[in-house]
Amino acid sequence: MPQDEHKEGVGGMINPTRYGIERVAYLLMRLSGLGLLAYFVAHIYETSNILRGQVGWNEFLELTQTTEGHIFLAIVIAMCVFHTVNGIRVMLGHGGVGVGKPARPDYPYDPASQNYRHKIGIYSSIVLAAVATMYGLAVMFGE
Amino acid sequence: MRESTIMKIHYGTALAAVALVAVHILMRLTQGFADSLEYESVLANYKFIPYAIMLELILILLAVHGFNGLRVILIELKQGRIYEKAVSYGCLAAMIGLIAYGSRTIIMTNMGLV
Repeated sequence: MPQDEHKEGVGGMINPTRYGIERVAYLLMRLSGLGLLAYFVAHIYETSNILRGQVGWNEFLELTQTTEGHIFLAIVIAMCVFHTVNGIRVMLGHGGVGVGKPARPDYPYDPASQNYRHKIGIYSSIVLAAVATMYGLAVMFGE
Repeated sequence: MRESTIMKIHYGTALAAVALVAVHILMRLTQGFADSLEYESVLANYKFIPYAIMLELILILLAVHGFNGLRVILIELKQGRIYEKAVSYGCLAAMIGLIAYGSRTIIMTNMGLV
């Protein structure tokens, strides 16, 4: 069988169960990035309603300042915090921070870069995203 | 442009955007979230020139970072000379379009053309 027939394509690339928390972080980083880009474009359109004057602005606020709108915004907060904290971890890793010293590859060939420091970074970004989301919900629903 | 240069821009825009977006969000929280979204309050924000400049900077930084991120994701999924050029120029066009549209809102509101 040719090697190409073993390819799993995008499904194999995004499978979060195969390669540990690092692959989950990789997937979440891309999903949160796409989500934030979509929100950013929508936010630019949303704020352009100010040009329609007070009536136009208030009409649009009525659409967004709802329970569903607040829950959507809470998801945006989660994506934003995760993307930021994990992004800083990735930047530090690319700069050689926390990836360990180069060493001879010995069995079982554990990658030195996928160490406890970076795992803590990934888990911290998930926890911080959850905390920020709770705070955001408290602010939005507390008023 | 070299990919290494593009990644430096990607990281630079990310760090700058984090700082400026933090100020943007703090402005919502210091005024009270609902009050800060009132028409007069938003209009006053746009008319305050330093804040309008900050919004313009956020717009540019996030558009550059966001559409370069989209370009990276799309090129990870599929490769090919024509495809990569189409993705790169497509993202560049979308970035310019979004910056132009957002700038129009900021400039017109700041100049009182509402």
